[in-house]
Amino acid sequence: METPLKINFDKGTLILQNVPEPLQTQLPDTRWDERTLTFRAPAYRYRHIISRLRAHDIKYQDTARQFSVEPFTHQQTMSPYPYQTEAIDAWHANGKRGVVTLPTGAGKTFIAILLIADTQRPTLVHVPTIDLMHQWYTVLKEHFGQDVGLYGGGYHELRDLTVTTYQSAVMHAPYYGNRFGFAIFDECHHLPSDQYQYAAISSIAPFRLGLTATPERVDGKESRLYALVGEPCYEVKVQELSGKTLSAYRVVTIAVEMKDTERVRYEEARRTYLNFLKQERINMGTPRGWHFFLWKASLTDEGRAAFKAYLAQKQLSFASTTKQEWVWKLIQRHTGDRILIFTQDNDTAYQLGTRFLLPVLTHQTKLKERNDFLNKFREGTYSILVTSKVLNEGVDVPEANVGIIVSGSGSVREHVQRLGRILRKREGKQAVLYELISKQTGEHFVNKRRRQHHAYEKK
Amino acid sequence: MLTKDLLRYKTQNGQIYPQFVKPIDTKLLAIAEQLIAVFEESPDKPRATLLETSKHIVDSTPGAPIVKRGLEKLLLDRTEFDTTPNEELIAFREKLFTETSRLLSQEQFENHADYQRKVLGTMAEELLSEVAPTEEDLAAKLYADLPSCQPVLAFKTLSAEHLLHRYNTAQVQGLLLHSDTLTLKLTDSMTAELRQLFKYLRFNQLLSTIRKEEELYQISVDGPLNLFYKTKRYGINLANFFVAVLHQPRWELAAEIQFRNKQRYRLSLDESCGIKPISQQFLAYIPEDIQLFQTMLRNKTDDWQIRPGSQFIPLPGDLYCFPDYQLVHKNGVETAIELFHPWHQGHLIARLNTLAEQTDVSLILGVSKELEKKPFIAEALAASTYFSQFGFIFRDVPTIRTLLPILNALVWSTTHIAEKM
Repeated sequence: METPLKINFDKGTLILQNVPEPLQTQLPDTRWDERTLTFRAPAYRYRHIISRLRAHDIKYQDTARQFSVEPFTHQQTMSPYPYQTEAIDAWHANGKRGVVTLPTGAGKTFIAILLIADTQRPTLVHVPTIDLMHQWYTVLKEHFGQDVGLYGGGYHELRDLTVTTYQSAVMHAPYYGNRFGFAIFDECHHLPSDQYQYAAISSIAPFRLGLTATPERVDGKESRLYALVGEPCYEVKVQELSGKTLSAYRVVTIAVEMKDTERVRYEEARRTYLNFLKQERINMGTPRGWHFFLWKASLTDEGRAAFKAYLAQKQLSFASTTKQEWVWKLIQRHTGDRILIFTQDNDTAYQLGTRFLLPVLTHQTKLKERNDFLNKFREGTYSILVTSKVLNEGVDVPEANVGIIVSGSGSVREHVQRLGRILRKREGKQAVLYELISKQTGEHFVNKRRRQHHAYEKK
Repeated sequence: MLTKDLLRYKTQNGQIYPQFVKPIDTKLLAIAEQLIAVFEESPDKPRATLLETSKHIVDSTPGAPIVKRGLEKLLLDRTEFDTTPNEELIAFREKLFTETSRLLSQEQFENHADYQRKVLGTMAEELLSEVAPTEEDLAAKLYADLPSCQPVLAFKTLSAEHLLHRYNTAQVQGLLLHSDTLTLKLTDSMTAELRQLFKYLRFNQLLSTIRKEEELYQISVDGPLNLFYKTKRYGINLANFFVAVLHQPRWELAAEIQFRNKQRYRLSLDESCGIKPISQQFLAYIPEDIQLFQTMLRNKTDDWQIRPGSQFIPLPGDLYCFPDYQLVHKNGVETAIELFHPWHQGHLIARLNTLAEQTDVSLILGVSKELEKKPFIAEALAASTYFSQFGFIFRDVPTIRTLLPILNALVWSTTHIAEKM
C-alpha cells in the first residue's frame, strides 16, 4: 500500500513527507529541506496546500491541525449596523479572509465577535498593546461567557479564545501556531513589520481577519499584509459615518506663541542642533539621517551638546509654558466634559499631570491602576486623563468627547487614531479635538502637511 | 546585550569589523572598576540616583563615551529593581484624583494657583506633613513610584576584566542580532565542549547542517524559516548561541550582517579575537543526568561504561550528529545515544529519515513519551524499522531497563557477525 502524504507542524513551519514526485513542484512555497531531509513550507501556507491536495484528490494524513470545530455561543443580542453586516458578508465572500477597514469607534470588535460565532473555530486575537489585550479579554468574556486565555504581558494561558500581543505571538507562534483555526489581527497595519509578520507566517489558521482604521503604511508594505491575511474586503471612511454611527466632530488648531524667554532658548538650541547637522553634513530627510545623527552625536563633546540641544528645542516646542496655559484654559472651558490630553512623551505627560494634579496613563502605569484609571474615566469619577501614546490605539473610551493634543509624532496615523478616541457615538455628543501647535517651529510645518488627510477634509 | 546605538564597528570592502576593547587596558579596567563599584553600592538606592552616579563616571572619565555607556548598559542588565506597586501611593492618587475631578467638573477657578490651593487644603491630611504642605510636596509625592524612583534590589557583580570580555562578546552578539544565518568551522573540538555547543544549538531552537571537510567540521546554523526568507527572525537565537562558540578551542565564524534593508556586510571572526567565554564551562563537570545514568548502569551491569557525548557520529548522506551519551562495552563495542525531547520533533523526523535505510548501528534513539504522544510522531516511530530495533521511549530520563536489551542485542549481533567472519 502506498504511504500517504503526511503533513505536520514544526516550529512555525509545515513538514511534509511522502510527497508524490509530480506534486513536489506544485505545492505553494514548499521546498526540500536539506537540514531535515523533508519537504517544508511556511505554516501560513497550510490552507493553500490542503486546498491543492484536495483539488488533486490526493490522500493525506494531517497531524498539523490541532484544532476542531468549537460551538461558541454568542450570548449578547445586539444587532449589527447595516455596514457591519456588509463587512461580514464581504469577508465571507472573500473566502473567510481579508482586511476590514473602518474608522475607530465604528464597531470593528463587534464584527470580529460575530465572525468568531460564525466561524466556530478556536480563535487567536492579536493586538499591539497590553491595554488592548485586556480590553479584548473583557469583551470576549462578556459575549461568549467562557474563559478567555491571555498570552503576553506576563500571562501564558492558551484557551479556545485567546488574546495575545503581536510581540508575544512572534516569540510563541512556533509552539502554538497549529492550535487555532481563526486568526484575528487587530490594528493590523502593524503586522507587515519585519518581526511581527512572523506571527502570521508561523500560524496555520486558514481563516484570517485584519481590522484597522488605516491600513496604509509609510513603507508601502500593505501588500505584505494582504498576502498574509487576505485582500481588503470592506472599507468605510470616517466621513461616511460622522454624525451617524460616529459622533459629529470638529478639529480646532490653536497656534501657540512661545514666551520670549522660551523662544530665545528654543532658537539657541535649534541653532546649535542645525549647525551640527550642517557641519557633519547630516541630512535628516534621508532614511538613515536620524541614526547617522545619533552615531555622530555620540562621538564627541560637541556632538553630545548638539544632541542635548536637539532634545531641548523639541521639548520646548512640545511643552512650552504657553501650551500648558492653553491646556488649563481648555480644561476650564470644558467643565463637565470628558477630556483626553495627549502628549508625545512621558515626561510631558507627567509634567502636566503633576501641574494640574491629574491621572496620567503611560506604559509605566501598573496594570491594576491602569484599569482603575480607565474604569473611573468611563464611569465619570475622573473627568480628565493625560496620556502619552498608550491610548492612541484601540482602547475604548466612548465617553470621551474632548481631545487635546499637546504634542505628537506628527504622523497622520497617530492623529487619525487620536481623533478616533473621541468619536464613539453617544446621544447628542459633539466631539472636538484641539491641536496645540507651537508657532514658527517644526511642529507648525508637520501639522500643515498632515492636514491633507481625508479625516480633516470637510464632508 | 547592547542596543544598536551602542555597537562599535567599522565597515570596509563589504566586511564588518567589531571594535573590541582590550581587556588588559589598565585605564579602561580602572573605569570598569569604578562603574562596578557604583553598581555594587546601589542596592536600596533609587534608579535615578544610580544612573546619575554612573553617568558622572561616564562623563568625567577619559575615553570614548560609547564604550562607557556600553559597559553601563551591561551592568544595568545585571541589576534587579523593585517594581512592585506602591499601594500606599496608589490609594493616595485615587483620593486626590477623585477630588480634583470633582473640583474641575463643578467649579471655575480664577487661575491655576487658586485651584492648587484648594486642592492642597483638602489633601493636607493625606500628605502627612507636620508643616503645612506646599505645591512642591504634592508634586514630589504624586508620582514618586515611577521607574526612576524604583530602588535597586540586587546587583550580580563581576570582575572588571570579565566585564570587558562581556562587552566584546556583546559587540558580536549585537551584530548577530542582525544576521540570518552563521557558519562555523571547528577543528580540535573533539572534546566535551562540543556537547555544550550542541545543547545551546538545540536550546535555541536552531537547525544545523554539519559537513566534514578533511579534519574540519563545517556547521551551518539557522532556523526553520530560513528556507524561505532571508529572515533575521533567529538573530536573537544566533546571538545567544554565540556564547557557546567561545568555548571551542579553535573556531571560525562567518555571518552576514544587515541593518534594516541596507547593504549586507560579512562578519568573520575566529578564536584569535581573544574573547574569553562568559558562560560557565562544563568540561570537568559531569551533568546530573549523566551521573544518575552512570549510577543506574553500574548497579545493573559492569559491562558498559557511559560518558557524555564527545564526538560527531557520521551518518549517511555526508551528515553528522552529535549524540547525548556515548557507551563503551568491555569488549570494545561502542555506541551512542541521541535523545529527543518534546521540542525536537523536526530533528527526530530528520533522524528517522536519515537512518531509514541504515542497517549498521551507529546510534540508539531515545524519544520522550511526550513527543511520542503526537500521532504524527507515533506513526513515524511505528513505521521505522530502525527505531523498532534501536530505539526506546523514556519519560524524564532514560532508564536502564529499557536500554539494556538494546545494548545486549547490539553486543550479541556484533560478536555474532565477527564470529561469522
